[in-house]
Amino acid sequence: MTAPVAITGGAAVAPGGEPLATGALSAEVRERVGRVERISGLTLAAGLHALADAGVATAGCRERAGVVLGTAFGCFLTNAEYQERFASGGVAAASPRLFAATVSNAAAGELGIALGLAGPGITLTAGGASGTLALGHGAALAAAGDADLLLAGGVDAVGPALRSFVGAGGLALGAAIDEAAALVVLEPLAAARARGARVRGVVTGHGAGFEPDPVAADAGGSLAHAIGMALASADCEEAVVAAAASPAVRVLVERAVASVSGRRALRRLAFEGPAGHSLGAAGPRTMLRMLESEPSGTTVLIVDACASGHVAALAVRVGEPT
Amino acid sequence: MPTRDHRAVLVTGRGAICALGASVASLWDGLVSGRAAIAPATGFAAGDLKPNHVAEVRAPAIGDPDRAGAFAVHAAREALEDAGLLSDRDTRIGVALGTTLGGMKLFEAWTGGAMSGLERVPYYAPAVRVARTFGCTGPVATPQLACASGTHAIALAAEWVRTGQADVVLAGGADLLCRFVVAGFNCLRATAEEARPFDAARRGLVLGEGAAILVVESEGHARRRGASAQARLTGTGAAADATHMTAPDREGRGAARAIEAALAHAGLAPAAIDFVSAHGTGTVYNDAMEAVAIAGVFGPRAVPVNSIKGAIGHTLGAAGALEAVMCVEVLRTGVIPPSAGLHELDPACAALDVVRGAPRTRQVRAVLSTSSGFAGANAALVLEAP
Repeated sequence: MTAPVAITGGAAVAPGGEPLATGALSAEVRERVGRVERISGLTLAAGLHALADAGVATAGCRERAGVVLGTAFGCFLTNAEYQERFASGGVAAASPRLFAATVSNAAAGELGIALGLAGPGITLTAGGASGTLALGHGAALAAAGDADLLLAGGVDAVGPALRSFVGAGGLALGAAIDEAAALVVLEPLAAARARGARVRGVVTGHGAGFEPDPVAADAGGSLAHAIGMALASADCEEAVVAAAASPAVRVLVERAVASVSGRRALRRLAFEGPAGHSLGAAGPRTMLRMLESEPSGTTVLIVDACASGHVAALAVRVGEPT
Repeated sequence: MPTRDHRAVLVTGRGAICALGASVASLWDGLVSGRAAIAPATGFAAGDLKPNHVAEVRAPAIGDPDRAGAFAVHAAREALEDAGLLSDRDTRIGVALGTTLGGMKLFEAWTGGAMSGLERVPYYAPAVRVARTFGCTGPVATPQLACASGTHAIALAAEWVRTGQADVVLAGGADLLCRFVVAGFNCLRATAEEARPFDAARRGLVLGEGAAILVVESEGHARRRGASAQARLTGTGAAADATHMTAPDREGRGAARAIEAALAHAGLAPAAIDFVSAHGTGTVYNDAMEAVAIAGVFGPRAVPVNSIKGAIGHTLGAAGALEAVMCVEVLRTGVIPPSAGLHELDPACAALDVVRGAPRTRQVRAVLSTSSGFAGANAALVLEAP
């Protein structure tokens, strides 16, 4: 089964270290957001807002609804807190509450529990391209009939431990890091239409690859291939390119996009980054911006890449398909 | 989005490293003999950890502080060689490598400042190391479904092959032992000195480490290069419990849904499955949950079941991949290894026909492997004879 996949809602939260705005959420979810790890709180807030945007009620267990979440560093902050307590206080200080959250799927699990999403519950890490890969995987699952509704996107929580790690050379981004969560609601187009949902866009293709040395002078072939995969089914003469990649791999992205531009007209926009790169949320956040800003009928190409070598591309046709 | 026939996804190579040895052959020989490779930890300071029994990799070649990455590279090399792809530099190969806590040994050593090897700390690092070592340019990702990570990595590889993202994917999982991990499971009171899956006297899991890789390949690509199929990867399924972060759903509903999804994907009725590789951790609640889920889907005592965690411990993100390696060998040989550590079947698991004591031989055409993990993650695979 390869059903077209619609985007019927979405939301991004980027509190920049400030408390999450949870006023619009139910008391039960507000309470949950207040006690879970930061990454799970970000995910819950974005997920709830995305469902509301899609006009989906949040009560009850849904066996055909799931989560596909991308994150570069996942539970890094929780790992740091657990390790700090354990290293300083010994075995007696090892926290079961914290250890239970030292898995990167904790955020997807919290979202699934809070909303009764009992379909696929998947987390992917692929460096700064995690969110774009997650969108592609989510679209493939929905297209294959493995779920009727998926909350898909990306998240990363940022705190002193992660800033210290990245600053010490853990990952070259060429930009400051910024916490954010950005999730969209994916549904098979027929199901979305059947419930009268507003279709904000349709995923028309995706691709992914790996650049073993992303700053090498000849790098870019794998990303170009991924872009070609994403556009293969797009049925468009022209696409608007939005780079979610961090500035550290700007040359790689420009080279790959230029190599594909000979076959299609690709109009490029700015990179995410100068004001802070939002890691796993970067791709989905960029896509949400494009869905807001571009006119209906436009094909948007999200191009994502990371100094880790991960690259991905996703093509979306904006608006209700004719 | 283009797709290929879901039956046209093959397994053409395998590699493994675990406490039973550093190859698929040593894993298989140890499992069939019923040997348990569990002992007090020696690879890190464990005197204050109670219990401190683990299933360690003791291969001398693995002296690397990035143990998960080193395990993954070792298993990938064996798998590529097995598939006849070790010297191939033309195929666009992807990497789907799950892990639960991969870089934690390096993370333990990091105290906030500069340090060599920092790029190998993140959970995506073992997959990156494999991709760079073997020059992979296809999709690379690290599925994180806690202890179901390795199983979903193989499912993701099948999706990439079906949708044309790659012709070949190195798929599996890797995980390691260190103080961070052992102390964590100990403080959850989830561990024991002996792993006894499905036994009436089971008290908890024993942690293990290692890696396993399957070469997942499109049938067309395998045919063009004259490669032999070891199995067909025909069914994948994933579902969440959506009930609790660490405790499984007592009714096994998430695990059952993942199994049913994998069967539906493969187009097989439960009766067509000849063997089930259970998650079988040896914790009281996991094994009872699985008995409900497996018996609910297949019927009481309807299909032989085993768990290999009594032999090699719970290898977390590698577990599902090591079990998939074993499943392919079961398909090839018709031999089902016994569940090490099982002496007296728990009445709560009496609905399962658990293979114990000695290997069982039967015709095996299709197998199912199931995995579950923290945050209510469940995943399942169906593999069939080629």
